[in-house]
Amino acid sequence: MSARFFNHELANGLRIVVERMDDVRSSAAGFLCRTGSRDETPDVAGVSHFLEHMCFKGTAHRSATDINIDFDRIGGQPNAFTSHDRTFYYSVTRAADLDKQIDILADMMRSVLPPDEFAMEKKVVLEEIAQSNDRIEHVAFDVLIEELFKGHPLGWPVLGYERTIDPLTRDQMHAYFQSRYAPDNMVLVAAGAVDPDELVALAEKHCDQWQPGASPSRRTVPTLHSGRVTRRLERFNQQVIALTYPAPSGISPLHETGEALAIILGGNNSRFFWAIEQEGLCPHAAAYRLDFSDCGLLILLAQCDPDKAEAVETAMRTEAKRIMTDSVTPAEIQRVRNKRRTSLAVEGESPYHRLVQVMDDVDYRGQPRTVEQRLAAVDAVGRESLAEYFASFPIDGEGLFVSVGPRAA
Amino acid sequence: MSEHTHLQLACGIELAVLHLPQRRAEALDIRVLAGLADEPADRLGLARLVEQTLDKGTQQHDGRGLSDAFDEIGAMTSSWSGREMTGFSGLVLPEFFPRCVELHAEFLRTPTFPADACDVAVELGRQELLTLNDDAQGLCDKFINRQALGPILGRHAAGERETLDAVTRDDLVNFWQKHYGAGRMIVSAAGPLEPQAVAECIERAFAGFGPATQSNRDPRPIEFDAVATHHDKPTEQEQIAIALRGVPVNHDDRPAERLLLGVLGGGMSARLFTEVREKQGLAYWVGAWSENPRGSGLLMVGAATTPQRCQQTYATLLRELERVATDVTDEEVSRALAGFLVRAAVRGDQTRTRCSEQSDDIIHFGRPVPMEEKLDRLRAVTVEQVRDFAARYIAQAPRSVVTLGPEPLTA
Repeated sequence: MSARFFNHELANGLRIVVERMDDVRSSAAGFLCRTGSRDETPDVAGVSHFLEHMCFKGTAHRSATDINIDFDRIGGQPNAFTSHDRTFYYSVTRAADLDKQIDILADMMRSVLPPDEFAMEKKVVLEEIAQSNDRIEHVAFDVLIEELFKGHPLGWPVLGYERTIDPLTRDQMHAYFQSRYAPDNMVLVAAGAVDPDELVALAEKHCDQWQPGASPSRRTVPTLHSGRVTRRLERFNQQVIALTYPAPSGISPLHETGEALAIILGGNNSRFFWAIEQEGLCPHAAAYRLDFSDCGLLILLAQCDPDKAEAVETAMRTEAKRIMTDSVTPAEIQRVRNKRRTSLAVEGESPYHRLVQVMDDVDYRGQPRTVEQRLAAVDAVGRESLAEYFASFPIDGEGLFVSVGPRAA
Repeated sequence: MSEHTHLQLACGIELAVLHLPQRRAEALDIRVLAGLADEPADRLGLARLVEQTLDKGTQQHDGRGLSDAFDEIGAMTSSWSGREMTGFSGLVLPEFFPRCVELHAEFLRTPTFPADACDVAVELGRQELLTLNDDAQGLCDKFINRQALGPILGRHAAGERETLDAVTRDDLVNFWQKHYGAGRMIVSAAGPLEPQAVAECIERAFAGFGPATQSNRDPRPIEFDAVATHHDKPTEQEQIAIALRGVPVNHDDRPAERLLLGVLGGGMSARLFTEVREKQGLAYWVGAWSENPRGSGLLMVGAATTPQRCQQTYATLLRELERVATDVTDEEVSRALAGFLVRAAVRGDQTRTRCSEQSDDIIHFGRPVPMEEKLDRLRAVTVEQVRDFAARYIAQAPRSVVTLGPEPLTA
């Protein structure tokens, strides 16, 4: 590991990874818990995300109000997110307040899940689910995931369902918390104006007493389904259509090739932009990747006038087939490299962006990558790697087609 | 020595350069003082159509060729249409900054508005209205802005179906010819840049682009309508937005207003978050913010909640607006200040954000304002000033209210 990075592990298994950045004034730090909705059982779907809320709700040393006030006293900008396979709690503050930042974040990781707060926060989570249900793109994504991973824990929404959150008990959450938030299933990550020795000392002070013993992971590799699914929702005006294909995982050597393919097919100045948007078919047509440690997805997505849904689907399929047969040009590949070079330089200025990148690398790859290593991976993308990609992950087949909106079919 | 350089160029452009020697990228931010407020009333949506069509063909490149040229230098570009101006920005590695300026000048000065690109822009504009109609929070913002800012400053970039249908290529060309020119431009740059070299580069690129005389810089008044309206929509949540008159960004009371906004909605211990979400579990999203056209301002609060809790949420928002004038504490103001100081440090680490803020300063203050000067103004605010501001501007002030969802408020 480069001197820019610092790596340490406490006796209880809590790993610490730091990226020291020059010329910045802020520091970003967070606890990664390697748990998410794919680690839940169906009856408690959404517990990981609800637990993320509850970690802000009280500890042995702080009430929910104390946590909020203590963060605000240092201007701490705390936040957290939960995904299918991880939960991340972080804050960004002035470098001088690193000790207070770690004190609060570490305390939150030992939440007492106060029962009165549990009942109140359940209402907030149900409001969040209602908010998500009002957004067609969220609804479409949930349908896509549900159908694609049918029968697998990756198939339910991270927020869970009203039917699973409403009856969820504090005891069920506590059992999940105990099994997943052990230090040997967590990583403390920091980036910015951070002294690694100071961070280790703070971690020893606040986390040394945490008992190891995370439950073994029960994750299984999912089977991806294909076919056609329509969900008619007349309350919306537009149609969201999505065509999904299997793609390399987040740790595959073909990962960066997949990123490049998504940009060439559905980024700015892409094939979709000129063949679909600038033909007036729809205002939003894009290609996204969704990575997990053991699988990946390429999602071709459009939001359109319901009357144009068929034409947009045809155009997306045509472009997907064309990119496999009518080979990607060297100029297209070079443009991707140029854009990635700029974006990596810019991200390198921001402790928050580096925090998230380092967290992602550590979780999936075991080690963080420097900007130079990331650039080398971008430079390695070429027609050969694309050919290898298409041989393993063709995008000219049926895929999973999902259509959500007012159209009947 | 200030890190900002502020220059008036012979071509008419007002230029500010922020010298940040250690950065890896350079940012360019161009503001053309022509926006939604300049649209003819029967052509709403026109400013955005122009913004989106300018780069679809120039005298040197077709649209794809121009996009490729930007990609050749790895430029991260974006554009937006605002109520008083249209913005174009680019972020590049230092060696490509001059080329980034050249390419921006090319599409701003020599667009050809190809007929097919104009037709596509109008068609996509129609479809964008469908997207907006599916965005409950976006729709609520549209309605409260129209109600509280008035029919000119409260326009929405997407326009209206009937006005989009009337737009022709000639309208786009005429809008560009009438409103785009160096005398209406503010340019900001940030990064490891030499100010004089930037000035020469900008002057070279834009010399002779329309009249050099500055124009369209006078503030327009807002037309505040203190009414409550409801918009029916079959959503799961009800959107609530409340607007009150605030102060302009350059007003002496603005620092007190910013801290008051911080007390209400700035952090996790802010009053609205505490009272609406933490104590009653009424909403996932609740917030307070300001809208600031040149020379005026609005204070806004909002929340989204399920219909059966809407009345209680609305009552809580009103209660908090009323009581803040009497019981805001020193501790709350200190916490709000801490939030601003940290956000300033975080923003200070981002070249693109510093560049954009520099443009905003010229718009509102007529000059770039050093970050420390802005922070010192905040540090100087007392709790009495915050209370006084709340008493004068919030407690009993007229309100403009919009709700959107399945049920209207009952009172």
